[in-house]
Amino acid sequence: MQRKRIHMLVLAGGLLGGLALAAPVMAADAPAAPAAAAAPAAAAPTSAEAEKAAKEAAIAAAIAAPPADAAMLANTCAGCHGTNGVSAGPSMPSIAGMPAPYLKHVMAEFKSGKRPSTIMGRIAKGYTEEETSRIADFLSKAKWQNVASHANSQLATKVDDARAKKGKKLVDTQKCGKCHEDDGLTQDEDTPRMAGQWVDYLLIKMQDFKNQHLTVPQPEKMQKAIDKLSPQELEDIAHFYASKR
Amino acid sequence: MMNCTRRGFVKLTGGVAALGLVSAPSISLAAAKMRVVVVGGGYGGSVAAKYIRMADPNIQVTLIEQNKDYYSGPLSNWVIAGFRKLEVQKWGYEGLKKHGVEVVIDQVTGIDPATKSVSTAGGKKFEYDRLILSPGIGFKALEGYDDEAVKKMPHAWIAGEQTTLLTKQLQELKDGDPFVLVAPPDPYRCPPGPYERASLVAHYLKKNKPKSKVIILDPKDKFSKMGLFISGWKNLYGYETDKSLIEWIPGAQGGKVTRVDAKTMTVYTDMAEYKSSCINVIPANKAGVVAEKAGLTDDKGFCPINFETFESTKQKNIHVIGDASAAVGLPKSGYAANSEAKVCAAAVVNLLTGKPVGIPSYVNTCYSLISPDYGISVAGVYKLNGGKIVEVSGGVSSDKAQDFVRKQEALYNESWYQSIMADTFG
Repeated sequence: MQRKRIHMLVLAGGLLGGLALAAPVMAADAPAAPAAAAAPAAAAPTSAEAEKAAKEAAIAAAIAAPPADAAMLANTCAGCHGTNGVSAGPSMPSIAGMPAPYLKHVMAEFKSGKRPSTIMGRIAKGYTEEETSRIADFLSKAKWQNVASHANSQLATKVDDARAKKGKKLVDTQKCGKCHEDDGLTQDEDTPRMAGQWVDYLLIKMQDFKNQHLTVPQPEKMQKAIDKLSPQELEDIAHFYASKR
Repeated sequence: MMNCTRRGFVKLTGGVAALGLVSAPSISLAAAKMRVVVVGGGYGGSVAAKYIRMADPNIQVTLIEQNKDYYSGPLSNWVIAGFRKLEVQKWGYEGLKKHGVEVVIDQVTGIDPATKSVSTAGGKKFEYDRLILSPGIGFKALEGYDDEAVKKMPHAWIAGEQTTLLTKQLQELKDGDPFVLVAPPDPYRCPPGPYERASLVAHYLKKNKPKSKVIILDPKDKFSKMGLFISGWKNLYGYETDKSLIEWIPGAQGGKVTRVDAKTMTVYTDMAEYKSSCINVIPANKAGVVAEKAGLTDDKGFCPINFETFESTKQKNIHVIGDASAAVGLPKSGYAANSEAKVCAAAVVNLLTGKPVGIPSYVNTCYSLISPDYGISVAGVYKLNGGKIVEVSGGVSSDKAQDFVRKQEALYNESWYQSIMADTFG
């Protein structure tokens, strides 16, 4: 504990070195008054600035602090993605057993902002590469389960057989199976499993592909297929993959 | 009651050992079987019980909960506003039993740290090596808010019967009369909750009682997700116009309620009085009574704890998680309780098996609805450093988000709910 505190002060000192020595750092513990009293008049930061700098230093120090173990980190995902990554919510993807390189890649894109998201960007920024890597490794070892709706869940969309049938034809003509092998059942480092995934989640993703306000990063081949298909057709494909178990 | 004393345990494990496991080390291991008692089966306690069993099935875990059925607070505002049934808010303990958790429906009447035991109204006694309390909240005194007033001016801040009472009051409200919402001071369970409730009641009024409005009487001058709520209210409910369906009276403008009178259905601030047939009073919160009676609370009414283990700083071998704990830096949300439970579970397993306590990691994710297809969120990732819980990343939804984002977040809200409930009870 003691060692960590020193580490934090050193780091904070480094960041604030140009500003006003240690006083602003102390402000983290006792805001405003002591900092104002201790700081020299001329180049003195305002107490609000000092507070902000101290806060940023505390965040930088916390990010640099040693990571928790894989289970501790990955279990925090379960509140949205379900225990061990098996999602119970129709709009949340199941991520159990997905390939670690795929999970790492997606998290890196969320973190950089390259991949649009409602909430994952805010969350991904909270983890270092090492922490993300631990999470991805842990979840990649979890067992995939086809999604199933709880009796208390009333919003899950049911797979539409007619649409799934149309989707199957589109999948064949577009040769989706070249990457999404075995009707989306298999996966490799770059390709997520889709068979047995929530249809609602797949529908949202398909809608995102066609959303003029969003740019979802895709491999070239995938982008070409998306461009060729109508939103309706993409949704048919979502029904098809969700229907496979 | 079986299996609840150490002696009973030795007998039982001795029997197993006699079958085949005769070597000395396995007998001593079995005899040393550790016992954890968890009190309170909500978002904190149930998760702690489950994750201890998942991490180490050799630890005996007993969960004591006073109610057979659990009604969740999250999404209960949807019930009040009439677009969700209370019965799908109901959860049970069968899932936890499958993880090998012994579930006891009983009320805890006493905790004795000296003998490390918990006694119940049912006359049972449970010994523990480590005790985890997740008792939720109680309410601080508010003049006039007695047992009778609780029924007439429901808080609906502990879901179930209270939710039904408030739902009924809203349905019976005369068009033109206000829905008066008395918001609590910080800190309290579910920081955006009162404002989500105001939003969804306004949504109901817009359709059903357009001459009525929500009046929020608030001791605070700012609140969780405030910017997002206010812009949502402007978009949907005419906020700050003559026809606004929501009026928010902050503390600085006399919003603090000092006294209530259930007989005349009136609440009083220093400046004015408000009457209605529908008054929702959420008094200041404190830790649940079990924690308070065990002497674990501080002068603010919550339980100070060690952030690495959630062990009480007032009593050894007793951990406090969820809304009752003073986990400074984390909000009092269901997700934070879930996260605290996992940090605590891992620490308890390590402490009981002689391993070093690990490094914690905490997350909060919380959605609110402003209307059924207008969702907003707050998220945070936290690390412990320098003895403090530091939010390393997070924040609220963008204030510039387009309609499709609000709609997606509304969908994610219900999905968040299903996953966290599966993580809690499944």
